[in-house]
Amino acid sequence: MALASAPPQRRNASRQSDDSRQLLERWRKYGDRQAHELLVRRFEPLARKLARRYAHTSEPFEDLLQVASLGLLKALERFDPDRQTAFVAFAVPTILGELRRYFRDSSWGVHVPRDLQEQALVVSGAQEQLTNERGRAPTVNELAEYLELPPEQVLDALLAAQAYNPLALDAPAGGTAEREHPVTYLDTLGQADERYELIELDATLATALQNLPARERAIIRLRFIEELSQTEIGQRIGISQMQVSRLLRRSLAQLRTLAQAHSEGP
Amino acid sequence: MAPILAPDRTRSSRQIDRMSTTISHPPPNVRLQLRNQPENISLIRTTLAGVAQAIDLPHETLDDVKTAVTEAANNVVLHAYHGDHDGSLEVDIKIAPSAIAVVVRDEGVGIPTQAQPHDASTLEPGEIDAGSLKLGLPVIAALASRVELHKRPAGGTEVRMEFATGPAPPLDPSPRDGPEIPRIELSTAEHPTELITATTITITPNRLARTVLPRLLCALAARADFCTDRLSDAQLLADAIAAQASQSILGSHLHVGIAIEPRQVELRVGPLPAVRGHGTAVDAVLGELAPIIQRLADDYSLTPVGPASVLALQLSDRR
Repeated sequence: MALASAPPQRRNASRQSDDSRQLLERWRKYGDRQAHELLVRRFEPLARKLARRYAHTSEPFEDLLQVASLGLLKALERFDPDRQTAFVAFAVPTILGELRRYFRDSSWGVHVPRDLQEQALVVSGAQEQLTNERGRAPTVNELAEYLELPPEQVLDALLAAQAYNPLALDAPAGGTAEREHPVTYLDTLGQADERYELIELDATLATALQNLPARERAIIRLRFIEELSQTEIGQRIGISQMQVSRLLRRSLAQLRTLAQAHSEGP
Repeated sequence: MAPILAPDRTRSSRQIDRMSTTISHPPPNVRLQLRNQPENISLIRTTLAGVAQAIDLPHETLDDVKTAVTEAANNVVLHAYHGDHDGSLEVDIKIAPSAIAVVVRDEGVGIPTQAQPHDASTLEPGEIDAGSLKLGLPVIAALASRVELHKRPAGGTEVRMEFATGPAPPLDPSPRDGPEIPRIELSTAEHPTELITATTITITPNRLARTVLPRLLCALAARADFCTDRLSDAQLLADAIAAQASQSILGSHLHVGIAIEPRQVELRVGPLPAVRGHGTAVDAVLGELAPIIQRLADDYSLTPVGPASVLALQLSDRR
């Protein structure tokens, strides 16, 4: 993205906002690419500023800027110039939302340092390989031996893979971003036993369970009702055991919150 | 496996004794009581990582703390008991508003320096005799913002380290905790049938328990040679216990015992209200998630301990 090159334009504020409004109309109503380009340049410093808020994290700033710029583009796509809101008021939450989603979707807690992330990927790869070779999930010691790493480091990497953003600040209770997991797994899962599951579980929990996304609900059913191992679940729906573990952990935390809210409610 | 949380007069009186002599107020947030076995150093490091997560400690600071504490603990493993691995290795972690203080304590032969106590930051490496902390101390002095060495009156050595952390967010205890200082204790108890080790932890339910307990249980499950599948189950179980404990625990400290054998982990949790029925107690510990979490365990049982009861959960890896 050639966003970084243009110097911020110096004009007086009201003039600029009039200008922006015109440009926004040219772009949104007539699809004027030149106006779009000008807008991108004009608001690039805003994206940069917002990206900088996350500069303390392990993510490289260039990546953050990229994500923030994407947020800006989305804001430009969605802004309705007929509404009376200022573009900035619309763009800021959109860009921040994009940044937060980036952290959530990349599934890494904000504080997992990069080398640990890389190690987690290596361990995850080894885990799959050894699972395939041996027909069961490996132990930490087996992974350590295979990777020629100290067991403690392997465990750290495994736990790092679990580090999700403590219940994704803004995670919607009902839906979930499907970006990193294909939706096709649903095809491989039956729907019939949903009611079955509800009979077996406590009523409060059953209600809470219904608030989870279908995929998470399915994983919980496979684990706790059909009693498949995490590795088996992973194989069945085409994700790694680590991902199954992460989703389970997150779902249980969510369930806990939901169930508590339910039992404390009226 | 032996009842880990059974009343142990010897230990508790010794503990009280020790509390009154060496522990200043407020008590540590975390106490680990371990044997000075080499593999226990990773438990200390794991605990530090859990604490760091709870207080948002930057990773670089955590690395410094880990390195320094490892040096001190390593010294206890290698030198404090003349190479024996049956001595006590005690670690206290205290979280202050802008610092983290770690004390590594043993009951060993003591550091043969001339002057004790001594401000270690002024020590030259050569001032300390062979054997103890020879290389470790300069490392600690370089990483910690403050170091003190103390000879303990009853024998043994204490290395007190302090690391500046910048303002840490409050530990955010749950409302039920009140203003009390959160605290976790972990100690090992030995039993002839135990092939590896047994461990006891005392926890005040709060954010710290949530980040420390799952790590510790995983570290011990890994040592018990669990495959990663069951390791994750152990983590889910620990999550649930840490999250729910505040609702059911008697008093302010949750005691958790962890004993391991190859491919088997036993977790004991208490003191819980003394209850008659099985299910009630399990629900009390596991809260709303009881129906789910129970399925992770192979078995569970209730043991009355005084006016309270202790829940035992077994988790094995039958592969």
